[in-house]
Amino acid sequence: MNFYEHTLVAKQDLSTVEVDKLYNKYNDIINNTSGKVIKVEKWGLLNFAKKIKNYNKGFYIHYKFEGDSSTLNEIKKNINIDNSVLRHLTIRYKKLDTEKEYFKNDEKINEKKK
Amino acid sequence: MKRKNKKFTKRSQNPLNKLSLFQKTDSRFSKKCPFSVKDAPIIDYKNIKLLRRYISDTNKVLPSRITSVSQGKQKKLNTEIKRAKILGLL
Repeated sequence: MNFYEHTLVAKQDLSTVEVDKLYNKYNDIINNTSGKVIKVEKWGLLNFAKKIKNYNKGFYIHYKFEGDSSTLNEIKKNINIDNSVLRHLTIRYKKLDTEKEYFKNDEKINEKKK
Repeated sequence: MKRKNKKFTKRSQNPLNKLSLFQKTDSRFSKKCPFSVKDAPIIDYKNIKLLRRYISDTNKVLPSRITSVSQGKQKKLNTEIKRAKILGLL
């Protein structure tokens, strides 16, 4: 079992219900396939540095979890089909720090980008 | 001759262009590695505020001869900046 961080970037034009659905979907996938979600962060709607597939903004969802290769395969399978996800990134860590949150005051970060 | 002078003045406006291989005259960066001190900031792809200091205006990674980051930390900076770019954060 290893520790992982996984980040999703969803499309801008989703409604809040659809974002919640996405959030629950991958939460269930991790929990059902021998993994365990430790923490989930919603970074909210952030500006991109440059356009991605003609979108200027996106919803960010960040998972910290513990799991196997089977969990990773299952996530990858589902994300590749998923139309509402623009980008994703998984990274392995030896230790997870669950205290620090870099995206708590989102507005300040967005202002600086402009 | 005139043309050469013009070019020189234009270039010198940007403080990063002034730096050559042999001069370190920028006040933005210290001579010691900022990540090798005690209680140094963590290099992470989520810590955008920190990473933004180490990229140029055109979103390239700044060389360690300007920023004086140590070799190992520069490698880590490089990977973290690339990760942030994948997610569209930088």
